[in-house]
Amino acid sequence: MKIKKYIKIWLRYTAGTSQIAFESRTGAAIFIIGKILRFVFFLLFIVVIFSKTKTVAGYSLWQMIFFFLTFNLVDTLPQFLLRDVYRFRGQIINGYFDHTLLKPVSPLFKSLFGGSDIFDFFIMIFLIVMLIIGVEHLGGVSSLNIFLYILLIINAFIIALSFHIFVLCLGILTTEVDNAIMLYRDLTQMGRFPVDIYREPLKSIITFVIPIGIMMTIPAKVMLGVFNIQIIIVSFGIGILIFMLSVLLWRYSLTKYSSASS
Amino acid sequence: MASFRAYYLAARNTWDETLTYRLNFAVWRLRVFLSLISTYFLWLVLLPKGENIAGYNQSSMLTYIVGGGIVYSIVLSTRVAAVSDDIVQGNLSNYLLRPVNYIVYYFFKDFGDKGMNLFFSFFEISLIFILLRPPFYIQTNLLFIFGFFLSIILAIVINFYLNMLLSFVGFFSSEAWAPRFIFFIILGFFSGTIFPLDILPSQIYSFLKLLPFLYLIYFPMKIYLGQIHMQEVFSGLLISLIWSVGLYFITNFLWNKGLHLYSAQGR
Repeated sequence: MKIKKYIKIWLRYTAGTSQIAFESRTGAAIFIIGKILRFVFFLLFIVVIFSKTKTVAGYSLWQMIFFFLTFNLVDTLPQFLLRDVYRFRGQIINGYFDHTLLKPVSPLFKSLFGGSDIFDFFIMIFLIVMLIIGVEHLGGVSSLNIFLYILLIINAFIIALSFHIFVLCLGILTTEVDNAIMLYRDLTQMGRFPVDIYREPLKSIITFVIPIGIMMTIPAKVMLGVFNIQIIIVSFGIGILIFMLSVLLWRYSLTKYSSASS
Repeated sequence: MASFRAYYLAARNTWDETLTYRLNFAVWRLRVFLSLISTYFLWLVLLPKGENIAGYNQSSMLTYIVGGGIVYSIVLSTRVAAVSDDIVQGNLSNYLLRPVNYIVYYFFKDFGDKGMNLFFSFFEISLIFILLRPPFYIQTNLLFIFGFFLSIILAIVINFYLNMLLSFVGFFSSEAWAPRFIFFIILGFFSGTIFPLDILPSQIYSFLKLLPFLYLIYFPMKIYLGQIHMQEVFSGLLISLIWSVGLYFITNFLWNKGLHLYSAQGR
């Protein structure tokens, strides 16, 4: 029942933010074109590199494209669903968060899912089509690979969600940093290519400390058939652990909220 | 007309503003550093020692990436994005009442911003040198060094006027963010921050030579590396100069046109 209620609320929020987003149709069109252009430019870069060399770190062109597509999926899904996080600091500063706390809705739910970005929904559809094309080019992909891939993408979303919760906590505990979410985005940019290509200690840091490897490289490797079951179990373990930590920190942060701006 | 001191103070105030929000600035620099380091590691893999891609060996490519990081801090850092907010929110009125030239005022604000970014980028690049010891190419030909600095000056001017023109969208529409978003995507790719543009197919590269973006990062770094003939240096500098002068006139034209439309909405 509660899930049904929250889906209904999310749909209401999304309808509201979508109406605002489409107020300027030209702006909306430019935004979507811009996002697709960014994707196409980087794809062009990969193709150009492979026109000069046959493999990169042992991966073929289509394998590398698949890594890039998986990165885009994991990058875009939180942008679509968790866009309100980008507005959170402003809500703390202008006192709007008091209003959120008074509502009969979980403040965490409102702060995370309160303003989904409809533009990214279109990008998601585009990416899913591209991923299907990518899978066709990889060849030899089994149903088990696809099933594990979907599970690992859900796990990646849970990790991304946790990092977004950390950013919310940072907004409550210190109002000075408004670049935190962009810092997260910049770190995840390293996942455009498989994390194997980076040297130690950076490789270990972006695999386990900031689990970009778990979020982006491991799901793609599962689709390529290059994986072992231990890594998959560790991936889910890290996902659950980070999520639990983020919820604990959120609860602690709420106790420190002083409502100073209102 | 305001004295030089007024503009100097505008530049200095930008330093003070930045230092007021130190943590924000530190996070911003960390973002720039991460972006640079990830591109560095990417090329380290793409181009192992002894290999060559489109005329670049590992040393010249890593010099291009690390040097491009410094040029990025000097050329592309800007405060001009705030101009569109000034126009849309009506804050421009405050500046119009002051005895300063608004465009020159922002030019000097940009100088303060560039100074701050350059200062910190030196620490970051030093860190890269200490930790990674990249095989950096040192240019010794004075003509190339002179051309490199001249190209950076022209790139600063081009970037300033391009950003100013984008902000003037605020005179004609309240949706100034959308063109800026697409501009940054085009700029990020076609200025050559991720890779040298001459590795692209020759038709695309020839087309890019006509656009101003190529002259912001790629062209100065190409001169630094000494990988182009002196004749190409001169022709590139001439195209940069034409873009600078052309953009200056277009900016002034649109500024005057925009002021006629400006209604101080929001005041």
